[in-house]
Amino acid sequence: MRKFSQSLFAIIISLAFGALILWLMGKDPVSAYMDILRGSGLMEKVKYSGRQNMFTDFMSFIDALTPMIFASLAVALALKGGFFNIGIAGQMLFAGFCAHMAALFIPSKIAVIVIGFIAGALIGALIGWLKYRFNVNEVVTSIMLDSILMYLITFYINTFYINPVSRQSKSIISGARLTLSGFRWEGMKLDIALAFPVAIITAVILNWFIERTTYGYEIKATGLSPHAAYYAGINVNRTALMTMTLSGALAGLAGVSYFCGYLAAIQPGETPLIGFDAIAVSLLGGNNPLGCVFASFLITVISKGTIYMSSRQNIDIEIASLITAFILTFAACSSFLGRRRK
Amino acid sequence: MLEMIIVDGLSFSLPLFIMAIGGIYSEKSGITNLALEGFQGFGAFTGAFVTVYLYGIFGAESSVPYYAGFLFAVIGGGIFALLHALLCVKFNANQVISGVVMNILAVALTSFLTKRINASMFGSNANKFMLGASSRLTIPIIGEVYPFEVMIVIVSIVMWYVMYRTVYGMRLRACGDNPHSADAAGINVYAVRTVAVLISGCLSGMAGMSFAYSVSANFSPDIYLGYGYLSIAALIFGNWSILPSLFACLMFGFARSAGSAVIHQLGLPSSYNDLVRILPYVLTLLLLVFFGKNNRSPRALGQVYNKGQR
Amino acid sequence: MAENIVEFRHITKRFPGIVANDDVSLSVKEGEIFAVLGENGAGKSTLVSMLFGMYEPDEGEIYVRGRLEHINSPRYAGSIGIGMVHQHFRLVSNYTVAENIVLGLEPVSKIFGIFPYVNIKKANHDIAELSERYGLKVNPTDVIENLNVATQQRVEILKMLYREAEILIFDEPTAVLTPQEIESFLKIVKGLRDGGKTIILITHKLREIKAVADRCAIMNRGKLIDVLDVETSSTDDMARMMVGRDVSFKTERKPAKFGDVILDVENLTVRNRAGFEAVKSVSFQIHAGEVFAVAGVSGNGQNELADSIAGLVMPSGGTVKLNGHDITRSSVREHLTAGVAYIPEDRHNVGLVLDFTLRDNFPLRQYYTGKFSSNGIISKSEFESYGEKLAEAYDIRSGQGGSTITREMSGGNQQKAIIARELDMKTPLIIFMQPTRGLDAGAVMNIHRHITAERDRGAAVLLISLDLDEIMDCADTIAVIYNGSISKISPASEISTDEIGLYMMGVKTA
Repeated sequence: MRKFSQSLFAIIISLAFGALILWLMGKDPVSAYMDILRGSGLMEKVKYSGRQNMFTDFMSFIDALTPMIFASLAVALALKGGFFNIGIAGQMLFAGFCAHMAALFIPSKIAVIVIGFIAGALIGALIGWLKYRFNVNEVVTSIMLDSILMYLITFYINTFYINPVSRQSKSIISGARLTLSGFRWEGMKLDIALAFPVAIITAVILNWFIERTTYGYEIKATGLSPHAAYYAGINVNRTALMTMTLSGALAGLAGVSYFCGYLAAIQPGETPLIGFDAIAVSLLGGNNPLGCVFASFLITVISKGTIYMSSRQNIDIEIASLITAFILTFAACSSFLGRRRK
Repeated sequence: MLEMIIVDGLSFSLPLFIMAIGGIYSEKSGITNLALEGFQGFGAFTGAFVTVYLYGIFGAESSVPYYAGFLFAVIGGGIFALLHALLCVKFNANQVISGVVMNILAVALTSFLTKRINASMFGSNANKFMLGASSRLTIPIIGEVYPFEVMIVIVSIVMWYVMYRTVYGMRLRACGDNPHSADAAGINVYAVRTVAVLISGCLSGMAGMSFAYSVSANFSPDIYLGYGYLSIAALIFGNWSILPSLFACLMFGFARSAGSAVIHQLGLPSSYNDLVRILPYVLTLLLLVFFGKNNRSPRALGQVYNKGQR
Repeated sequence: MAENIVEFRHITKRFPGIVANDDVSLSVKEGEIFAVLGENGAGKSTLVSMLFGMYEPDEGEIYVRGRLEHINSPRYAGSIGIGMVHQHFRLVSNYTVAENIVLGLEPVSKIFGIFPYVNIKKANHDIAELSERYGLKVNPTDVIENLNVATQQRVEILKMLYREAEILIFDEPTAVLTPQEIESFLKIVKGLRDGGKTIILITHKLREIKAVADRCAIMNRGKLIDVLDVETSSTDDMARMMVGRDVSFKTERKPAKFGDVILDVENLTVRNRAGFEAVKSVSFQIHAGEVFAVAGVSGNGQNELADSIAGLVMPSGGTVKLNGHDITRSSVREHLTAGVAYIPEDRHNVGLVLDFTLRDNFPLRQYYTGKFSSNGIISKSEFESYGEKLAEAYDIRSGQGGSTITREMSGGNQQKAIIARELDMKTPLIIFMQPTRGLDAGAVMNIHRHITAERDRGAAVLLISLDLDEIMDCADTIAVIYNGSISKISPASEISTDEIGLYMMGVKTA
């Protein structure tokens, strides 16, 4: 409950801050914020171009939301187990890349999901193993692996897998893509995120797993107090390894729903920013799986909706990431502010 | 070709090194600093803005905008770093989270402001500040260098001296090992740490401005290429000491320039450069795995210090 | 006649639940060694900490050199010439001896008269001189982490002397030293006094007081019992006054009925994390229906003994048998299923997951059993009803019932929660490690009643405590541990507190 009010506090302050900026730029904050909702398909726009309406907007919003949910779940699970998985971006990239490669041979959506899950899990397991076997800090490992994977994959894409027109990787064949792009239904063109139900189900299952299973109990005990967990007879090392493996697997799902769903291709030379946003989103969601769904929802509304808002209000598109960054900044210190008031 | 490797290597190593020194200051005082990436970007932003602004006053031929740009990069990086200090020292925020958030904030803030400023002051809708290429100085033996390389060498000597020879440096290192004993010796731990983070911001700002000149000749959000993280790798590789970190930075820089040269020589496409870039990270990771026991981070690194708790 | 350099006048200090100092008045003369003697929790550290500015008294005044002082911080205490060596040293581990000593008051010189730098050469030289002058042997250029405890202690002393402190406070200075080191430490202290310093020594070791102190204040349960001239008092007198039998209240107990041997420990040897033998070839047996209490001064191997029998630490030698089954090398969980309950000393980091709710902490040791889960799925309703049942049965009070975060509960209720959880498993062996440390009288009584009840149920109880009163109140058999070995085992009725005290302090050995 306290976490919830802290998060709410961070959101309200940030929105007020954003409103202030908009106002200083001579815009009407209320109509700007309403345009954000319109852009995310949560409110009716004034007019739509052909084959589009509020529902199609909402569906593309869902498409963008899906990887964020997976990524923040990955952070949340790791944090529950006492790990800082700051390497979500690299795990996503690796999983997305592996799935792209696999799809060349097995053009199946199921395969993409399975490969993504396994690829992410491998990286997570590596981080966990280095931690407990060699006591290498997981934050450092993650940073190093992020860069290593990024450069390796960039090299491969640029050399063997490039689409010379878009300067991105080749697109995954539509049979394996997790988003049904331009799906015709009732005269509309929809982007259907097939992984979205999976994300919601995963959040629910993860919540249940953490709260209602002995494994979840062990993860939480180990994360909060390794000494007490050991005293309780828990195999602390095995639990830590399992936590990081699962966290990596979730990041892998984020990767495939991003690179083989929301996007169809991989941009060489960069790691996905949502891998870092997810850390703060998870924080905003109180590291609770269901909280993560809501926090992802909110952050994605802003990032997605602002594209429309910026064109309508004639404001730079960058305002989206700015408001998001404010929310994350306030969320980072909200635990202090919250404690103060108590 | 060898000369080119050295010149290119140095122009990359030195900014990396000065940023790593900043990181060492922060971490030796006990504050984890993943925010170097954001600091350098923000510093480059303020520096580039001031430079572009002064071009309009002094003209592009004057050297005033160049040096003023570096000065304001240092100031800008420092001011932005104070936010990290505020969160970590005052608000007891988790230092890793704060670092990540600082990076996100820096990207968002500089991208937004660059566009706004371009739109309102220079009447353009570009997302970058064009700096133009830096002039070069010719130094015997080494060859042509950027003026900022000379500045970095001077500043890094001063920073080495401050860290290992002065009262402040001695107290700073004590704060990172055992803040309670520093406190017992009458040292204000909060103040020492705040200043340390400020310094890391200033030095990163200087590095950011250098990258803006050497890598791209402009400031744009593309400045966030992960060099901040590379300098973290360098300082870990250097075991949180300045001289070994210099060695790491030189190694990273020369590996990069030599790799490029070799790839160029063999007639391979430039994408093969990415393979070379992996080297520093792999080396650092292997070092930690095999020699992790000798590699010791400051003892109180990342721990929230509360005077009341004993 | 020497002047009074420090005077405590009617000092009272309360902490939640206890009165740590109750109207204490005493004075320390300039140039003497003044010892403050008392058991753990007698209030001696609290009293002296107020002189060093770590706490402020609720009532009463402190005079230093005849002047009323409000000492509100260690820094201020330092400025009026008071220095203190804490039990846990405050040293920067990767700095040299000289760097540690000068830290905060560094000698500064200037290169070319412009650039200031810390003159380490001068510091090394000054410290060498200082160490020479007081006969405190240290090498200024050694790094702290390579030094043994005794040398580190000398560094701490030099830190005070470098700051020109006149009143030197030592908190349990010999607790961590070997007998030989203690000898040389006592010599140092005498030397300091002869050099004109005033020394205040907090300790519970009689032998040391007899060896060096001029006068000795004896405290018991927050009250000052007496101030004695050491030369004219016997150690027996001092011990009796320190333990103060008359104030203890005994729990009603039926005579014990011993059954079969439950725990059989033979030649148990345990190394601590640093690799030293903390427990040396210890052997004893505990029967059903017996409270076997281990007395001893802190740090004589008690933690390692308890942890190894509970399975948290693997012994390096010997055997532990429970009901005839060898459990020496079993895992923590195998110990649990074999029937060893354990109330650990550190209730915050080990005994509880502090950020769990009370309800989640109760099944900590049994969550995986069929009672609380099936096929890996936890039964929330069982968690809930079990939590209610235990809270009710053991009178555990918490703000929001089972949903209370344990961190927010009082120490007494936290301990009750651990005890409830462990006792409810109804195991044949229960280990109590320092079960009442830091608790108020009511909670102590309650826990003692539980110990007796478990014994009467037929359990074997191993009680390890630093509190002699507790041991006298609860034990059927008393063992004394000294320096890792058990130096005495005796039926409780056949040994006096005075005699136990002598074994505890190593005056008497087996």
